[in-house]
Amino acid sequence: MCAAAVALITGLTGCASAEEGAAGQAAQRFYSAISAGQGDRACALLTPRAAESVESGGEACARAVTTLVMPGGEVRGAEVWGDEAQVRLVRDTVFLHRFPQGWLVRAAGCRPHGELPYDCEVEG
Amino acid sequence: MRGFVKDNALSLFFLVLFLLSLAGQSVAGTADYNARLLAEGGSTVSWAEYVTSSDFAVDVAENWQSEYLQFLLFILATVWLVQRGSPESKEPGKEGRESDHDQQVGRYIEPDSPSWAKAGGWRLKLYGNSLGLLMGLIFVLSWLAQSVAGRAAYNAEQLSQLQDPVSWGEYVASADFWNRTLQNWQSEFLAVLSMVVLAIYLRQRGSPESKPIGAAHKATGVEG
Repeated sequence: MCAAAVALITGLTGCASAEEGAAGQAAQRFYSAISAGQGDRACALLTPRAAESVESGGEACARAVTTLVMPGGEVRGAEVWGDEAQVRLVRDTVFLHRFPQGWLVRAAGCRPHGELPYDCEVEG
Repeated sequence: MRGFVKDNALSLFFLVLFLLSLAGQSVAGTADYNARLLAEGGSTVSWAEYVTSSDFAVDVAENWQSEYLQFLLFILATVWLVQRGSPESKEPGKEGRESDHDQQVGRYIEPDSPSWAKAGGWRLKLYGNSLGLLMGLIFVLSWLAQSVAGRAAYNAEQLSQLQDPVSWGEYVASADFWNRTLQNWQSEFLAVLSMVVLAIYLRQRGSPESKPIGAAHKATGVEG
């Protein structure tokens, strides 16, 4: 909604930087939780579907998520369109969705794949 | 009050239809949008959030621009082009901007003519093209709004499919923008073509959009 309202008024811009900042912080919290080995915290920052996708193989999300190899790095930029966000980190990219409780990670550890969707370590 | 309603019944009828349709679109659109969000694993939005969203804006704007383009082209094309037998057309031989006598300007001005028609100079020129100019302006603004809102909706869709968002320039060159645009244009042009041609041979008793029932098929520019 924010993207539409702002875009219609200002013409060609994306959503307000406040939302981009919030999405970037959510992405950073997710990566920090993984690097600190806090699987429960990391899984709580995933969308239900993404958490489910990590669980595949009979292993609990909190355990499996800490074994993922995602280089991450500092936030280089973020874009918010509607309820979707893309946060570009130095070494990979994160996609988030806005829920009533805030931004949750729907895909992480993503690398570009030409014209096709990004290839992601976590995807739901 | 009753006199006002009777005198403006046609405008009021279409105003009410427009508002009811727009309200209906917003309700149906909210349900459709929420169904898609749930299918993609997202959360739903309220009616108020939907009607201020880019998805609703692009759906409205893409229809508006095509309607105003249709009337703009109809207004301008009928200055120069005729269709023998159609009540929507001038008679053959009258193509063009017509004389001052036909247009009731200059020496032929009437006491109750609009003040800008009497004024002459740039005001006459502007007023003499005001219908096309306003229709054209609304068309351009609606099309611009479609491109801006369409880009926002397209980028949200791109992100939900784990793809990069695009710039405004990339969007107006995209298949999504032209698919939305042309699918509206083709239906408008078909509707005008149908009206112009069918009204040569078919009649609707009492409608000024039709020739009188007994009028000859070859009679042009005659309204019932």
